[in-house]
Amino acid sequence: MLSRRTRIILSFLVVASLTFVILDLRGGDGPFSSARSALSSVIGGIQTGASVIFSPITGSSEWWSTQVNQSGQIRELTAENERLNSALVTSENDIARANQLDELLRVASVGRYRVIPAEVIAVGPAQDFAWTVTIDAGSLDGLEEDMTVINGDGLVGRTLKVYNSTATVVLVVDPVSSVGSRVAGSQEIGIVSGTGRQNSLEFQLLDPLGEVNQGDAVVTFGSRDGRPYAPGLPIGEVVDVTGTAGQLARIATVRPFADVSQLSVVGVVVKPPREDPRDSVLPNAPAATRTPVPEPSPTASQEKETAATPAPDGG
Amino acid sequence: MIIRQGLFIGTCVFLAVLFELTLLSRLGIPGATPDLVVVTVVAIAFAMGPLQGAMAGFAAGVLIDLSPSSDTLVGVNAIIYLVIGFVAGFWVDPRDRTLPIMIGITALSTGAAALGTAIVDTALGSDRVNWAEVPWITLSSALYGVLLSALVIPLIDRISRPFVSEIAIS
Repeated sequence: MLSRRTRIILSFLVVASLTFVILDLRGGDGPFSSARSALSSVIGGIQTGASVIFSPITGSSEWWSTQVNQSGQIRELTAENERLNSALVTSENDIARANQLDELLRVASVGRYRVIPAEVIAVGPAQDFAWTVTIDAGSLDGLEEDMTVINGDGLVGRTLKVYNSTATVVLVVDPVSSVGSRVAGSQEIGIVSGTGRQNSLEFQLLDPLGEVNQGDAVVTFGSRDGRPYAPGLPIGEVVDVTGTAGQLARIATVRPFADVSQLSVVGVVVKPPREDPRDSVLPNAPAATRTPVPEPSPTASQEKETAATPAPDGG
Repeated sequence: MIIRQGLFIGTCVFLAVLFELTLLSRLGIPGATPDLVVVTVVAIAFAMGPLQGAMAGFAAGVLIDLSPSSDTLVGVNAIIYLVIGFVAGFWVDPRDRTLPIMIGITALSTGAAALGTAIVDTALGSDRVNWAEVPWITLSSALYGVLLSALVIPLIDRISRPFVSEIAIS
């Protein structure tokens, strides 16, 4: 059967891997954190190069998703067409108001964060059931653990482990992620948690009588010192609500704005807005790319203006 | 000889891990990520023997667990891949291995890797595993394993020849 040498080596390997599991189960900064960071600087460097070389191939992911979702997309587009037709009939007033709100949301959110741009260079395999990606910015760029990661569409996730030049980001759709959040219109507070599927999140209202409707936008509530989650970032749109008002378990399904399967350029929020308003209000290069703010005038007065406009309408 | 074999196994496994993490997992293919690493481990086990397969599996598992963008416990993949590498090399006598048998073993291995990760993760108390998706992930992983094996097994067989001694099957 097996030679003596084979048996010795095999049992050594089995014992070694079991020891690894047990050591790592204890949690905290185990003996693996240094091994991980050493390996990540090696692999991260190669991944950065490889992601540039492979970018034409990885860009084909859209092709795959088109193949899979075509029938679903047709249905979606038909439904959207109907919705758009009805929206066309609604009054000018509603549209103007929506625009104002939209602008307010943008001014209040994306524009005032200090962001470090980074690129996704590797994605964890789907077999791990973990939605994690690696980005090419690390502690040398000023990143720390538990910082918010956003992209042009909204919240992406938070940094989990930060190494010298790379960082691991756990995405908002990961089953272990949960974000304090509020409904943009009604200000109802709740918790958005990941489901492990890339296009749906679970939103649980804290107040069972709170109002949440299909189409409502959900934004982050913000944590202390803006970490791990900075306030006011768009997360997603409510697509489905189960249960009626007053029921104990009231859960809404939220479709995230950011498409986590096609992430490329993301930004890490290194400074949330309120900590240093004077500096952070200034539109800096990476954050300004998506903020169509007409002038960089003090946002406070602008907010007052927009907030005050609807009041005469109502009264 | 054993040092040269170790270097060869290490290089193959490292390249497979890099390729899987940088390219294959970013393709956005439906279902599981094509498990190039497991296919490479199985191919090494076919070409060099069960012990070498187990060593390759151990190395690959530790490397995957430690590499960035993975947040699993260190050692989980190592032990799963170790068993797969050993069984793949030990199961069928090398003289009886036909192409369908080799492809079948690869498919079973990639499926077992996906299923094994889900089982071990759940057993160790991770609440990430979505059991509704496990059958689909396992099946698609096995399917991609078949596709990859047609490419990887002949390749590893060819380039490993200088490192295989006559008494490697022990």
